[in-house]
Amino acid sequence: MSKFVDRYWVYDIQGRKLHLWKIRRFDDNVPSTDGELFSDARSNYLVYPPEAITNGLRIEHTSITKPFTTNNPNTVADSSLSEDASPTESSYINLSRLLTLAVVDYVRAMLSEKSADVQKKEYYMREFYKKAGDNESNKRKILMTGTMSPYAVR
Amino acid sequence: MKVLELMERVESTDTELVVAWIKDAINILQSNYKDSLTATKQNIVKNQRDYDLPAGFVRIHSVSVLDTEDDSKYKSIRRIAGNHFVTEDTSP
Repeated sequence: MSKFVDRYWVYDIQGRKLHLWKIRRFDDNVPSTDGELFSDARSNYLVYPPEAITNGLRIEHTSITKPFTTNNPNTVADSSLSEDASPTESSYINLSRLLTLAVVDYVRAMLSEKSADVQKKEYYMREFYKKAGDNESNKRKILMTGTMSPYAVR
Repeated sequence: MKVLELMERVESTDTELVVAWIKDAINILQSNYKDSLTATKQNIVKNQRDYDLPAGFVRIHSVSVLDTEDDSKYKSIRRIAGNHFVTEDTSP
């Protein structure tokens, strides 16, 4: 049974593999067959996962899922969108309106690069990142209020 | 927005190239921002260190392990730093 997983389990990523370990501490140990108990100096070390856990590993990530859809992503719930595996001119781009406008700038930047206009390309890339940043900051609107001192000049 | 509308805005007629650039742009957006997060789960196997990363992932945001003792909650685990002495274990 796994417990205190946030404290005792660690991972690392090597190439395309995720390596998973558990930290074994002194209080996890039982005496060896020779009756040996590890001293505190050797109390923390890594072991391979000591137990099998069904669906035990969860990885949260971004990926390119349904980049093109057959229905409008701005009017239909995300779960109801059906992917268009062979996108055509009539496919919808599965992004918010602002991010789609950012993509328009990206395509303009690529067209400018194709015509060897680097200045224009850089301008459109800046616009692309600006709109992408705006879209992100739209999710972080925070209303801040501060109390006024009772003797403050008003 | 439809691909056609985007093509009209940028005055291009090359559908395949525009679609490829749209995919590139989405890749950059997913790499830098958390526009759509996905979670994949896999079994932890006893004495197995190596696990596959999800197919088609762009950026990893968190790795969690199921805490079966605490009402089956997934809890984020830490990434360990540095190189490790054992590079391959043929008989774990």
